[in-house]
Amino acid sequence: MSAVSSSGWLYGAIQRRRNRSLGGLYLVVAAFLILYAVLFPGILSVGGFSKFTQNWFPLALVTMAQALLMLNGGITLAIGPLVSLGAVIAATTMGTALGVPGGILAVAFVGLAIGAVTGAIVAHLRLPAIIVTLAGSFIITGVALILLPRPGGFIPDWLSITLAGHTPVAFLLLVVIVLAWKAFLATPLGLGIYAAGDNPIGAFRSGVPVEQVKIVAFALSSLLAALAGLFVAAQTGSGDPVIGTPFTLNSIAAAVLGGVGFLGGKGTMRGAICGSLLLSVMINVMFFLGFPPVAQYIAQGLIIVGAVAVPELLAKGRARR
Amino acid sequence: MNAVKSLFRNPPLLTFLLVALVWLVASLTLRGFGAYGHLRYLLELAAVIGIAAAGQTLVILMGGIDLSVGAVITVTAILLPLISPAWDPTGLIGIVLALSIATGIGFLNGAGAAYLRVPPIIMTLAMATFLQGLLVIVAGGSAVTVSNPAVILLGQARPLGIPAGVILWLAVSAVVLLLIHRMPIGARFLALGANPLAARLSGVSVTRNTLILYALSGFFAGLAGILVLGMNRQGYVGIGDPYLLTSIAAVVLGGTSILGGRGTYAGTIPGAILLVTTTALITVVNASPGWRSIMFGTLILALLLISGREARR
Repeated sequence: MSAVSSSGWLYGAIQRRRNRSLGGLYLVVAAFLILYAVLFPGILSVGGFSKFTQNWFPLALVTMAQALLMLNGGITLAIGPLVSLGAVIAATTMGTALGVPGGILAVAFVGLAIGAVTGAIVAHLRLPAIIVTLAGSFIITGVALILLPRPGGFIPDWLSITLAGHTPVAFLLLVVIVLAWKAFLATPLGLGIYAAGDNPIGAFRSGVPVEQVKIVAFALSSLLAALAGLFVAAQTGSGDPVIGTPFTLNSIAAAVLGGVGFLGGKGTMRGAICGSLLLSVMINVMFFLGFPPVAQYIAQGLIIVGAVAVPELLAKGRARR
Repeated sequence: MNAVKSLFRNPPLLTFLLVALVWLVASLTLRGFGAYGHLRYLLELAAVIGIAAAGQTLVILMGGIDLSVGAVITVTAILLPLISPAWDPTGLIGIVLALSIATGIGFLNGAGAAYLRVPPIIMTLAMATFLQGLLVIVAGGSAVTVSNPAVILLGQARPLGIPAGVILWLAVSAVVLLLIHRMPIGARFLALGANPLAARLSGVSVTRNTLILYALSGFFAGLAGILVLGMNRQGYVGIGDPYLLTSIAAVVLGGTSILGGRGTYAGTIPGAILLVTTTALITVVNASPGWRSIMFGTLILALLLISGREARR
């Protein structure tokens, strides 16, 4: 993806093609954001913006985690348990001698390690990712339950205030993570994630270490999910061994809303992040409009189907004309 | 040596032998495990998973997946007591109505996948979310007790000592196996799963078969819902949740490829029994919920290594 000067026009053409299907999504997200700002002008203040992005931040991270694997041709059902485990590790280590830096390192290390092991199982033992991560989700949930059987633990107040206070730290962190992803994509390994997802055999023959790429993808994905858990722990001020459960399905829904395909190589990270923003805004709008949780489920189901179906139908209509 | 090799190429038989082995070892080492009543109870539990996984097997064979199985089971279990007319002494009308609703939900899934081109994983997931909301409105979150005589009979009767649920499962197995291996439509499902483009160019209608498959999946999930209602005598929100992942796990443990095109329901049958046995063994070992969860996950992984490997491509 790093633009080679002689094939700059090719790069531009590919980027246009990849962006084409995102136009509609950007419009829908913009419309929802405007609706949100009209209904709740509070979002335009620093505090309101901070709160809004804090609600979005963990979903954005887990969506990136899911999209990373889907782009590589995989999928994970272990996102929710990883978020829970990240929160539990943060809440159990930060009160001990390790302190906050040690706690963050512990969360990051556990995330990377679990991801690498999962990736190695999928890549080297050739088991389907969906079922390995399903089994993994039971194991990870179990570990979280053993570490912290009931909600509790300790998160220092200053950390909660820094991450989830009235400053847009969460948003800045998201910007940093997205920039880091962009930088990673410029490396051969990062490009390999797309290449191996789009055409594993072709990528292998072109010298991409397909199995190593898969392990890296799983490790990074789990790292992101565990860090989302750390943030959730800071947000709520404690650890909870089942707090991550809804994130598994929401991460898939957001990634698909963002145009990431299941077969690998199809989609973009910016699309996925937009998808997570759309889902987050939708949930917020329905919550503030006083929809009962029940109606939220129904609306969410309809909107997800609509968001996927409408572009498909439009494309079909265009092809016919 | 060749016999061993061909055994490893036959996942259904392998899974079946695995079940036999686990049952034998557990019966010899654990008191009460090998008792007829206990084994019968395991089969009864496996019947629900097996019937729900019948639809799942068909859908996965075609390269799709149905994530609304759990929600359809819950819908059937909650709606059936509410819609069974009181004037019908047999209770069969309620069953027919509930199965029609379940089949209708499956048909809607198929319509979304076929006409709206929504990927099946998303269509069925959205359907599950949608139903979850609808259920709370209909049932108000409280449990409903069943008084439908046919359903209670299905859940409790034991003609010749064999639970009615297991007999139902045998019937479902026979029908599904015939459908996959002896009927043209089964060949079409497998062809669509193996290579959708080639199947379409050979004149197999993707739309029609998708509609039929998801409707069948809804029907079997509904049947599982009626059985679970009969066994529990109560329907409540969340009653079907455990069956979503177990139905998928049973299919994969039976050696059916999650990518479609390769596999058989003959593997799903021992797969369902294996899952129930695993859960039972973990319950016997007196451990905390955390350790139980870890053991379950590890066992599924270990079982996968034996029977669920994708072929090298």
